[in-house]
Amino acid sequence: MEVNGPKIYLQINGMNVITQTTVASFAVMVLLCVAGYFLGRNLKKRPGRMQVLTEKGVSMLYGLVEETMGKHNAYWTPYIGALFLSSIGGSLIGMTGIFRSATSDVSTTITWALMTSFLVWGCTIKNSGLKNFLKGYINPLNIVSDIAQPVSMAFRHFGNIMGGGVLTSILYTGLAGLSSLVVGAVRANGWAVTGVTALVGAALLFLGFKKGKLAGKIFGAVFAAIAAAAALELLGIFREIPILEVGIPAVLSLYFDIFSGGIQALVFSLLTMVYVGMACPPREEKGK
Amino acid sequence: MLILTQVTQFESLVGVNPWTALFTFCNMIITFLLLKKFLFKPVKKMIDERQKEIDDMYREAEAAKTEAAKLQADYEEHLSSARAERDEILRDAVSRARKRETEILTEAKSDAAALMAKAESDIAQEKKKALNEVKNEISSLSISIAETVVEREITRADQERLVMEFIGKLGEDND
Repeated sequence: MEVNGPKIYLQINGMNVITQTTVASFAVMVLLCVAGYFLGRNLKKRPGRMQVLTEKGVSMLYGLVEETMGKHNAYWTPYIGALFLSSIGGSLIGMTGIFRSATSDVSTTITWALMTSFLVWGCTIKNSGLKNFLKGYINPLNIVSDIAQPVSMAFRHFGNIMGGGVLTSILYTGLAGLSSLVVGAVRANGWAVTGVTALVGAALLFLGFKKGKLAGKIFGAVFAAIAAAAALELLGIFREIPILEVGIPAVLSLYFDIFSGGIQALVFSLLTMVYVGMACPPREEKGK
Repeated sequence: MLILTQVTQFESLVGVNPWTALFTFCNMIITFLLLKKFLFKPVKKMIDERQKEIDDMYREAEAAKTEAAKLQADYEEHLSSARAERDEILRDAVSRARKRETEILTEAKSDAAALMAKAESDIAQEKKKALNEVKNEISSLSISIAETVVEREITRADQERLVMEFIGKLGEDND
């Protein structure tokens, strides 16, 4: 098993110009823009189902931004929304199998984190003046914190998504090894053991369905699948069927890809909102 | 010199590629601008417009309600004032009629009294006149009687004397 960075598609003068991440992030951008264009089209006072969902999502985002950054910062919502959607899209696009998750590349997350940092710096200069901004760095710890902030944001996001991907691929490798071991053991003992396994599986399945127990159904299915795989290998139709890779990774993928992707997108947007919100205080507090 | 190579290499797992960063930055900006233009702005506008419409409707309904309440109050006030006016007019009319009644009565009484007084004075005058006539009658009668009795012509002086005597006697008799 190998854990690699993004694949390089095109090198110009030895520089890795186009990689898997570039393609994935481009695909996410196109998908989001097309979806946004179609969702924001033909809006009516009396909305259809799609419009209700869209409006719900948009007003939820506005609510979140207004709650975190204050009502005066509601105009940040489109950026926060784009960041959130790009992040979640960049994480989920890895699940298609065609692209590699854009967010499991530090280049992506560090760019977003630096954008957040520059927004914060820009807002600070705009709201309290360049002098006050520079005065903040009299304390050298602030320099460290300003460097640490984007780095920690970027690596948190990257690490979660990349770690999920690594774990998933480890799981696949492990399950492939396990299934070749188990199926190989069954096959090596000939038709008799295969038949017994099939019978056990059938009995477990039958009992599981009769008593309505989930464990019986699952183990029955596993035994039956192993027996079927062994039979197919005995017949010489297939070899090395990684039968155990079916089903089990889906449960973990639910956590590592969907849940973790959503959480990281939310965390990243929330942190951006908090940092930028602190740099843009309400108007009446500006003078203090 | 531009060297384009297609390779099947992998980048390192943890490393920053400035080109990827640049593309990510551009993609982010484009995503932000397009989503803002096509999704967030129109949807937010629609939500706000609908909210405004709802607010307006509520405000109008509230205004209509207050208007109706005001109209009802006005109407009731009018009604009660009309009632009061009617009562006033009735009372006025009754009192005027009473006044007129007493006036007519007193007038009639005084008229009657005046008539009575006039009648009494008339009667008194008539009586006096009648008495005078009677006196004259009696005097001429007595003269003629006396002429017949005396059967002679008496002088005017005699006659006057006789009459006065007679009247004097008559007056004495009457008294």
